[in-house]
Amino acid sequence: MPGTETPLTAEVFDQLRQAMAADRAGFTELYREYLADAWHTLEVLKEAAPNRFEEIRQKAHYLKSSSLVLGAGTVARLAGTLEDKARTSVSTDRNALDRIEDALREVQAELAKRLGNGVIPADKSAA
Amino acid sequence: MATTTIRVVIADDHPVVRVGLRNMLQADPSIRVVGEARDGEEALDLARSLRPDVLLLDLAMPNVAGMEALREMTAGNLDTRTIVLTGLIEKRQVLEALQLGARGVVLKDAAVEHLSACIRAVMQGQYWLEGRPVQNLVQVLRDLTAQTAPAPRKTFGLTARELEVVALITEGCTNKDIAKTFGISEETVKRHLTNIFNKLGVGNRLELALFALNHNLLPVGEGQ
Repeated sequence: MPGTETPLTAEVFDQLRQAMAADRAGFTELYREYLADAWHTLEVLKEAAPNRFEEIRQKAHYLKSSSLVLGAGTVARLAGTLEDKARTSVSTDRNALDRIEDALREVQAELAKRLGNGVIPADKSAA
Repeated sequence: MATTTIRVVIADDHPVVRVGLRNMLQADPSIRVVGEARDGEEALDLARSLRPDVLLLDLAMPNVAGMEALREMTAGNLDTRTIVLTGLIEKRQVLEALQLGARGVVLKDAAVEHLSACIRAVMQGQYWLEGRPVQNLVQVLRDLTAQTAPAPRKTFGLTARELEVVALITEGCTNKDIAKTFGISEETVKRHLTNIFNKLGVGNRLELALFALNHNLLPVGEGQ
């Protein structure tokens, strides 16, 4: 997607919401599932770091994939970088995972703003 | 005029992606998702059993990878038209996918924007690349082939024989070895070397070997 990178690409979010206009609950649930899954994947990545390359590559790809489809551009880009590094057996440093964690927090905060804090909690602890 | 529903199977290992795509497509009344596969093997099974009009195929899946599934789909002579879904794709992979029978490529971050249009275009017999229907596939294939062809080896004005001498030098051959290999005199080898040194601006055999390695002067398969 061209333009400035934001935690959550507005065009993707809006178009998906429009596509799912008949199922608002399903739309919210989709993002809740994404967040829960993304946080879980990040934990798996932390366990696999720094050198379980194949596991890191697979999980980073997994995170990138859903992030792309749901418009979490920064998370997708960072996960893609992690995937590429793991593919060439470059160790995963903690900073890379911290950056993904920060980006994911921003996505969660943005979703809480857009969908309501009661639906999507603004921070990870309540996810 | 009666409209026909386009039957689609989604193949992606990520459940959130499958749900997202299914929901995107449900908004289009002309499209119906008839099955979902979690890996390449399931994708092939569903394509064979459900005979969908379109298979949306992720390239990076467990068991049977996307390209391999695509190859088998084509070999199996199924009528299903395959659209590749991917996060990022190199031109080389686009070319390979098209050669294996894919009818379209959609990037995942553009799925919500383009997927329905791509499916409809493909069902109308068109190809879909870079967010739009392709008007001239032959031209696209020609361009992709040109863009993915390896760059010609730069030879710095060396003759074919001089390049052969360089290859042997990097293997550590002596002048005597080289003379024997080519059936020429050591004097001739020395003359070749002088010419090579002058053309490349190097002063000795070690510099020559390093230059050859750094400038990809060796034939493919050597110096790797």
